Amino acid sequence: MLVDDSATVLLSISGILTKAGFQVVTANSAEDGQKKLAAGTKPDLLITDLNMPGMNGIEFIKVVRQKPELRFMPILFLTTESQQSKRAEAKAAGASGWIVKPATADTLLNTIKLVLR
Amino acid sequence: MDELKQVFLQESGEQLDALETLLLELEARPDDETTLNGIFRAAHTIKGAAGMVEAVAVESFAHVVENVLDRLRNHEIAVTTELAALMLACTDHLRVLVANEAGTAQMGAAEIEAQTASLLARLRAFGPGGQVQAPKAAEPGVQRIPSPQTGHSCWHISVRFGPDVLRQGMDPENFLRFLETVGNIRHVETLADKMPPAAEMDPELCYLGFEIALESAADKQTIEDVFAFVRDECSLSILPPNAKVDDYVELIESLPEDTLRLGEILVRIGALTADELSEGLRAQAASAEGEVPADEHREKPIGEILVAQQVVQPEVVAAAVAKQTQVSEKKAQDAKLIRVPADKLDHLINLVGELVIAGAATSLLAHKRSDGELIESSSLLTRLVEEIRDASLQLRTVQIGETFNRFHRLVRDACKDLGKDVELVISGGETELDKSIVEKIGDPLMHLVRNSLDHGIEAPAVRAAAGKSPRGTLLLNAYHDAGNIVIEVADDGAGLNRDKILAKAIERGLVEPDIHLSDREIYDLIFAPGLSTADQVTNLSGRGVGMDVVRRNLQALRGTINVSSQSGQGTRLTLRLPLTLAIIDGFLVVSANRSYVIPLDAVVECVERPEMEHDRNYFNLRGQVLPSVCLREGFGLPGERPARESVVVVQYAGQRAGIVVDRLAGELQAVIKPLGAIFRHLQGIGGSTILGSGEVALILDIPALIKISGQAEQRMLVRPEQRSA
Repeated sequence: MLVDDSATVLLSISGILTKAGFQVVTANSAEDGQKKLAAGTKPDLLITDLNMPGMNGIEFIKVVRQKPELRFMPILFLTTESQQSKRAEAKAAGASGWIVKPATADTLLNTIKLVLR
Repeated sequence: MDELKQVFLQESGEQLDALETLLLELEARPDDETTLNGIFRAAHTIKGAAGMVEAVAVESFAHVVENVLDRLRNHEIAVTTELAALMLACTDHLRVLVANEAGTAQMGAAEIEAQTASLLARLRAFGPGGQVQAPKAAEPGVQRIPSPQTGHSCWHISVRFGPDVLRQGMDPENFLRFLETVGNIRHVETLADKMPPAAEMDPELCYLGFEIALESAADKQTIEDVFAFVRDECSLSILPPNAKVDDYVELIESLPEDTLRLGEILVRIGALTADELSEGLRAQAASAEGEVPADEHREKPIGEILVAQQVVQPEVVAAAVAKQTQVSEKKAQDAKLIRVPADKLDHLINLVGELVIAGAATSLLAHKRSDGELIESSSLLTRLVEEIRDASLQLRTVQIGETFNRFHRLVRDACKDLGKDVELVISGGETELDKSIVEKIGDPLMHLVRNSLDHGIEAPAVRAAAGKSPRGTLLLNAYHDAGNIVIEVADDGAGLNRDKILAKAIERGLVEPDIHLSDREIYDLIFAPGLSTADQVTNLSGRGVGMDVVRRNLQALRGTINVSSQSGQGTRLTLRLPLTLAIIDGFLVVSANRSYVIPLDAVVECVERPEMEHDRNYFNLRGQVLPSVCLREGFGLPGERPARESVVVVQYAGQRAGIVVDRLAGELQAVIKPLGAIFRHLQGIGGSTILGSGEVALILDIPALIKISGQAEQRMLVRPEQRSA
């Protein structure tokens, strides 16, 4: 599942992932993502932006982590070089790792490989 | 252009609009955290999206802007007028850069670059964000120290995972698998020394560690990066190939496990020989004697790690929770939106239009055959088609607020240029209307707002002298009224100068000198073509397009504009526009066997033509005078007027008139087809439509007919002697 409020990011990342053979469910906000998870989507991996209007990514990660069935799901968050301080915060919320935007297809797929079982 | 780029262009446009709006808000409330965060987020999103489509120029510029905004957000620098102006300039420049990506920039490449450079120079004044980031210095290469060295050719990696690694969705085994992509794992030892007795063990915690010998050509950074995600929670030591014995000894000392056991492992892995190990340990023990007890020394790192892991950040949680609920509610609503290209909607509306016509044809046939069941089912169909029509037209509606909000910037800039102080008040921003109309009223509105600022609202000193507040008010308001949308542009300025307008109109030969005109008619003169070209004669003379162009634009949308003004109190311009351009509910009437459609919104009632007491074009409708126009006479239709005629009472903008027709033919849905250019001069006709029978019916332009009827009566009243002559 891919959560980001930017349509450009959603489209490009889901494009890369789909091409690599992943099935991608996208959500354009944490609330949307929550709804889709509540509706029974059980992703192998969650990629979420941190900086979103409404519920932010860190809150979202916390909420997701509280669901028993998603406790051990890898969660990656999208970040930038300038957001170093947020990383610790997101990790504390339960994130597995991060992807630095803008990521090349290689970096993205490598990172996913690292966290995906 | 590919889809991704298109999405990027649209999104960055929206974000730039948001950025601009928020920046203007920030000027009013410099300390508002929500605004600051919103501004930062907008810049951040633009940067991120630009990176995704490899719009390097946009990305790098947005990056610098974002850095400055970040400092702003962290209160490292304060909001000043200068900074706000600079940020607005940056927003504009980002727009240019984005346009450049689309190939639609109005500037040359050199000009854009020059502007980028000058803005960057100005941004630099606001701290480190402005400085071009020097590329990170390369990790210094591992120095090889000649002696004593181990003969080991592998990297040695010691890792002890933090207990929460599983809870963070990571699988320790994954690191091993991933290391395989960096090099060859020669040897792995798993250490489970921290594992408590089974009864105390928490299956969700990780108690493991690895000692790994990795044969790889990669540098230290690459190997370290593999563990980047757990770097902060785990203890990680990486020793290069051929590391010094001392380094290994130090490593053993620093690890929590039993020294001897670790030593054995290292020997087994092949990192050290037994001799090297015992030699090294002995030397270490000797030098450490009398210093810190070994146990305490060992415990410390774990203690630190554990402390670090137990750090909860309540203030962070609180801050996130305390986000304004209002904001999150609104955003939750936004999340329900989907993006649809406008042309797809247009296509849908077209199809619905055709469906309406086809439905009308079916229902006509059903009635012709007098087949009860068919009539019933076709009327059900008609009702559904009506609902589909309304629903699909609704899809194309947008709130006018977005258009209004753009004027904040205009007002602000104009005030600066003109030295005036004007507050823009917006209301009714949530009023919805058809997107195609919204797009077309932007320019006329802009013109009206500029006019009010330029010529309506006075300079602060003049206002103060007139006993008014030095700060002028410009009101933009929108609301729905009987199938129309009404937009008001009102200011509390000096108002129109009636005498000046009249004098100028007489001078230009637009009106005869001795004619008597009402205030309203005089104010209407500002829309006359001759008067608008403007040497500061009226208080409303514009720059660029004149008021006649504004009116013509509105008429092309089947809209009207009215002006009311009070000297010294202000001017109010009222625009009326139809809600949609595509389909209307109509009322079909017949005169001389020709069909005409009256927009149903305008119809008040239908009555039989009363007995004529005179041959003038007005009636006594329940004691009120109702001016009227007879279609037969107005359009010069052939044939005699029938003995019984009907009158459709119509209303527009508070004025009523009667339209005399042969007979009434009921309601219908009319898909508006525009008339060709050669019919443009026709008065009283607004468009055409196709009936179910295939016949073409003309749609009456009610505002024009009302005007005609009023004028005709007035002419007669003014010159009764001419009439009798």
